Amino acid sequence: MKEKSKKYMNSYLAGFLLGLTLLAAFFFTGRGLGASGAPKSVIVAAVDLVAHEHAKSSPFYSKYIEKEEPPIKAWLVLEVLGVLMGGLISGALAGRLNLKIEHSPKISSKTRLVFALLGGILFGAGAQLGRGCTSGAALSGMAVLSTAGFVTMLAIFGTGYVLAFFVKKLWI
Amino acid sequence: MKEELIISGRENFLIDPYIHIWEWQIPVYLFIGGLAAGLIFFSSLYFIQGKEEKMPFIVKIIPTLVPLLLVFGLFALFLDLKHKLYFWQLYTTIKLESPMSWGAWTLMIVTPLSIVWSLSYLKEIFEHWQKNYPLLYKLTSWIEKLILRLGIFRSIIKLGIKQRKPIAWIMLVMSVILGIYTGILLSAFNARPLWNTSILGPLFLVSGFSTAAATILLFTKDKSEQKLFSKIDLLLIAIEIFLIIHLFMGFLASTTVQIEAAQLFLGGPFTVSFWVFVVFIGLIIPAILEVLELKGFHIPVAIPAILILIGGLILRFIIVEAGQITRYLY
Amino acid sequence: MGPLIAQGVISSEWNYVIAFMIGISFGFVLERAGFSSSRVLAGVFYGYDFTVLRVFFTAAITAMLGLLYFNYLGWIDLSLIYVNPTFLWPAIVGGVIMGAGFILGGFCPGTSVCAAAIGKIDAMIFLVGIFLGIFIFAEGYPLFKEFYMSSNLGDIKVFDSLGISEGLFAFALIVIALIAFIVTAWIQNRTKKVEY
Repeated sequence: MKEKSKKYMNSYLAGFLLGLTLLAAFFFTGRGLGASGAPKSVIVAAVDLVAHEHAKSSPFYSKYIEKEEPPIKAWLVLEVLGVLMGGLISGALAGRLNLKIEHSPKISSKTRLVFALLGGILFGAGAQLGRGCTSGAALSGMAVLSTAGFVTMLAIFGTGYVLAFFVKKLWI
Repeated sequence: MKEELIISGRENFLIDPYIHIWEWQIPVYLFIGGLAAGLIFFSSLYFIQGKEEKMPFIVKIIPTLVPLLLVFGLFALFLDLKHKLYFWQLYTTIKLESPMSWGAWTLMIVTPLSIVWSLSYLKEIFEHWQKNYPLLYKLTSWIEKLILRLGIFRSIIKLGIKQRKPIAWIMLVMSVILGIYTGILLSAFNARPLWNTSILGPLFLVSGFSTAAATILLFTKDKSEQKLFSKIDLLLIAIEIFLIIHLFMGFLASTTVQIEAAQLFLGGPFTVSFWVFVVFIGLIIPAILEVLELKGFHIPVAIPAILILIGGLILRFIIVEAGQITRYLY
Repeated sequence: MGPLIAQGVISSEWNYVIAFMIGISFGFVLERAGFSSSRVLAGVFYGYDFTVLRVFFTAAITAMLGLLYFNYLGWIDLSLIYVNPTFLWPAIVGGVIMGAGFILGGFCPGTSVCAAAIGKIDAMIFLVGIFLGIFIFAEGYPLFKEFYMSSNLGDIKVFDSLGISEGLFAFALIVIALIAFIVTAWIQNRTKKVEY
């Protein structure tokens, strides 16, 4: 445990650097960071490609397809691509690059994957309803002191704590 | 209020011809050409240096890819031709001033030589497959038997084994010509300001060799070869970045049309695809990963290799695409 | 002066290149901090690892103070900064669903990308889930549209909602964060260590 945690950066320093990154995002573009917007752009583009008529008539997709820009010209898609590369470089530096399924010893890999998929579905849908995920709504929202940011943050972590008891086996 | 209205026929749509006739075939062909040139270059170079036994994978095995690549590349090129049935006429003339003629003839020489080269190592290739890819071997071992049964192949193999040295020399020279030609093909279009720069030749040559080094990295099982080619690749990436910087310096110091051509990449529609996908994802990030790998960090070598291949392919797509937009008419 | 893109200082095409660079920094810091491990992330809910709380709070406060300071110096025009609008009930319900997703899946979208980058297969599956979730939401959108648009409070700021001044709120937030840092450090020491 000791040796492992050494490889990670001090949490406060990491938080400070993350804050500076967020500040840079605001300074350059006027918007904060985000993540869930990128898969949304991809989904919208994909649906538009496969079923253009359906996308045009749907109240959800039609909100986004009017601009006619390919998803590569979406700010968040490029940002998330950067996240992928940044994570890759950091993982390479720390010697953490290897294919594996990380899970508590009490559950099987398969259980972990099933819950990961389920969690992803919930997070994807919830992020649409909440107009952003932990990065886009909660973190960036808190930095600009928006009410939505604090409400979303409290709702996410509050629910986490309430449910944590019931799914203890998944993690410890 | 001062207002000026300029009415001119020039404002009509497409009155200045915008010729966009090259689609995916040409960039794919240029990519494959550069990749094949690099593979041939490395294998013949190390053969000439007498490292046949020390670096068996590079000298003997990986060139098998070359004929396959060239056939696929030529097929892409063939698809692009308007008058497909007249392709053979490229071989009824030799035009020293035409890069297309140079390219056609170079390929005419390189393709059969690369086939002979691979045939001469037939035994080693199948032994390598048997050891490393048993499934592939099972599916293809009949090819080896079939080839060995045919007398004509047997005599080609005998000839190839005997004449390896001259073949290697010809392939070495031809590979450089082929690599440069993939860029010069574009430079020869004087009416396209973006292409009309002599840096494209060396740029595509270096980029092609770099993708070849990446391919070798991707497939080799030998640690020392991996190390060597990581270093070679780093050097090639450095040269490529240097050439890219000079490409833009050259454009910006040139005439208005070329400055405007460069602007496509410096704030224009190709900014993202070029700087993010070619420069960062295709060059800088793989370079960082390769440096880390050489320093002993554990990094799957496939990651930088694949990034380089993607970057190289996108570079050609962008240059071909953007070049067709730039023009001299104003 | 800032935000540079909105003010037209930098062309919008470069904006995307900047997006990529900011993303690299974002991903790098997340991975460095340990957010590429779902078991580090989940630790915050069981008291064995409070990395998430520390990083999250420190980042939000750093950016908040930075923005206030930049505004004070006149470097940035706060009126051009995007403030995510508050649709109260959708935000709460969305947050609850996300919270459930977090505790079950062990990631949030940003951290899952980061974890997928270093080869965590569970993170890749989580990402697939995100795509599915968005798709499900998009297809079912007509059903929730009314709710999605309900209780719109506009671009309100939290200190207005609470009826206190901006400075006081910022100060209070910092105090709360400091208390949280101390309390969680104490809890973490008392909690049974979890090996991962």
